[in-house]
Amino acid sequence: MAQALKSAAKYPPKTVRVKIKRYSPETGREWWQVYEVETYRGMTVLDALLQVKEKRDHTIVMRYSCRMGVCGSCGMVINGTPRLACQTQVSMVASEENPEITVEPLKNFPVVRDLLTDFTSFFEKHRKVKPYLIRRDTQEQENPKTEYRMTPEELLEIYPYSLCISCGLCVSACPVSASDEGFLGPQALAQLWRYTADVRDEAWRERLEIADDENGALKCHFAASCSAVCPKAVDPGGAIQMLRSALLKYKLGLWKKRKISEPVPPLEPTGEKVPLPPEAQTLPGVDLEAMEREPVVIDASKLLD
Amino acid sequence: MVGYSRIQLWQYITAILLIFLLAWHFASRLPFLRGVDSFAETLAPDKVYEDLGGASGVLALALAYTALFHGLNGLRGILLEWLGPSRKPLVNTVVVILFLVFAGLATYGVVGITKP
Amino acid sequence: MAGRGERRFLKNMPGWRASFNPWILKLPNNPERLAFVLHRVTGILLILILFLHITVTTTPATRGWEFWVEEIRKAQGITPVTVYFFIFAGIAIFHGLNGIRLLLVEFLGCCVGKPEKPKPPYISATLKAPQRTLLYIVFALWIILWMIAGYIIFT
Ligand code: HEM
Ligand code: SF4
Ligand code: FES
Repeated sequence: MAQALKSAAKYPPKTVRVKIKRYSPETGREWWQVYEVETYRGMTVLDALLQVKEKRDHTIVMRYSCRMGVCGSCGMVINGTPRLACQTQVSMVASEENPEITVEPLKNFPVVRDLLTDFTSFFEKHRKVKPYLIRRDTQEQENPKTEYRMTPEELLEIYPYSLCISCGLCVSACPVSASDEGFLGPQALAQLWRYTADVRDEAWRERLEIADDENGALKCHFAASCSAVCPKAVDPGGAIQMLRSALLKYKLGLWKKRKISEPVPPLEPTGEKVPLPPEAQTLPGVDLEAMEREPVVIDASKLLD
Repeated sequence: MVGYSRIQLWQYITAILLIFLLAWHFASRLPFLRGVDSFAETLAPDKVYEDLGGASGVLALALAYTALFHGLNGLRGILLEWLGPSRKPLVNTVVVILFLVFAGLATYGVVGITKP
Repeated sequence: MAGRGERRFLKNMPGWRASFNPWILKLPNNPERLAFVLHRVTGILLILILFLHITVTTTPATRGWEFWVEEIRKAQGITPVTVYFFIFAGIAIFHGLNGIRLLLVEFLGCCVGKPEKPKPPYISATLKAPQRTLLYIVFALWIILWMIAGYIIFT
């Protein structure tokens, strides 16, 4: 995305031709439609599409929401590469020599209409890997008194995977997902590893069994295209190799989860006082010693009047 | 749910075996290791008999079985990916038949060999 | 054409083509994709060649040595048979070398990117990891060993 930063400062060509792949679910017809768009500096492909929709053709259907690379709704194949339309500068994909931008719906997802794809099975696969913390002590988990212990190093082990925005670009780039609808796909498998590797999670055996399915981790052949297109550098390709290796070693009796963290014990009052810095002065009328002897209680209901 | 890894693990184990078996197999075609002057001479009947008769015949058979398993299981995975789970019985049957036919042929090629 | 009011989703999957055409999508910074396609294609070719190889190398047992001697006469100099050997060597060397890389990566989970704090330019760790260096070594060794094999086969 450094490229995006640089191209945000660059001027795109004055006008670009946006060539949109369209699909009508009623007639089953697919066709390309070209629109001229006047650009401005900093215009994204999503902006260009919205301009077409506002000024030229209201019938174009697409999905977007946040316009800032957070919601993961606007994945499209732009000039042949799966990208987030809102994170793609027009100046990045169009030039004076070639002012044409092709926009297609994400591959490997059923197309509902035009650029709008159906994510139902994508989210079902995500759900299959149980993407939440599982503890044996559900009582404690439902009524927590403290948090589970996790060091910054332990957090880093799962941190990049936790940044996934479920945009589906990885699935769209995957050559296995391209022919196999059953394959869990890079997004779900990366999330499977994200929870398996989390020190706070206790269901690693259960999850490895989910990965050990015909449609699981062993169907990956490490083309790493998922990692190449992921806008958040989640690195699903790397996560799947760690998952597969853990799974195979586990089946050989050579791997088990090394550490599972416990809730932090509740903090006991130590009675220690933090001394005021010498230059600190109290407001007139405040008697610190008196307040220590008798803590001030503020009645919230009186504040409202 | 039967673990899929049970068979896929063998894809990797056979791959490790193949590194050594294939290295040995290719090395026996190197003229300087066989004490001859050219590649073609390593294919002469007495050299081939050295490779397939006796103890090294066992290695050659091990290579054939391992390569057949690895290659056919790999092919099976690819075909299942393309054809979908409904064709699984068909794909499995074809792969098993191919294995039996060629493993049988290879066995006969080693067992049935005579001194040139 | 679907009936009135009936809507159909478009199945938008390239299918098996994605296994053969590494440029079906424009994927920058992704030589692993090319390696995947080559590994798959060489794997399929190798199993087909293995069938042929087993059939041919059993001829001393099935048809006798005279037939074999007749056959290997075609394996001298540059002939269709030695060209086939040369192509086979290239296929096997690539699959073997890349197979070793895949064993390290897929079986041992080694040489892939360690989780790191993402920073601009947001490139996934695995694309900068040692497996990428290994991949370049595989390509380089492949060409070198293939040329050596050609020298041995043709002289
Ligand atoms: C040094 C020898 C070899 C090594 C190290 C090796 C290694 C591997 C590995 C690690 C895989 C799994 C790849 C993946 O999951 O994407 C594989 C797949 C495969 N191998 Fe081999 N292999 C070797 C020889 C052979 C031979 C001799 C054949 C043919 C008879 C063969 C045919 C295949 C096939 C068809 C696949 C499936 C490819 C795919 O699914 O994309 N391999 N090999
Ligand atoms: S892993 Fe990356 S590409 Fe895949 S859904 Fe998550 S954010 Fe998108
Ligand atoms: S609109 Fe939210 S990611 Fe693009």
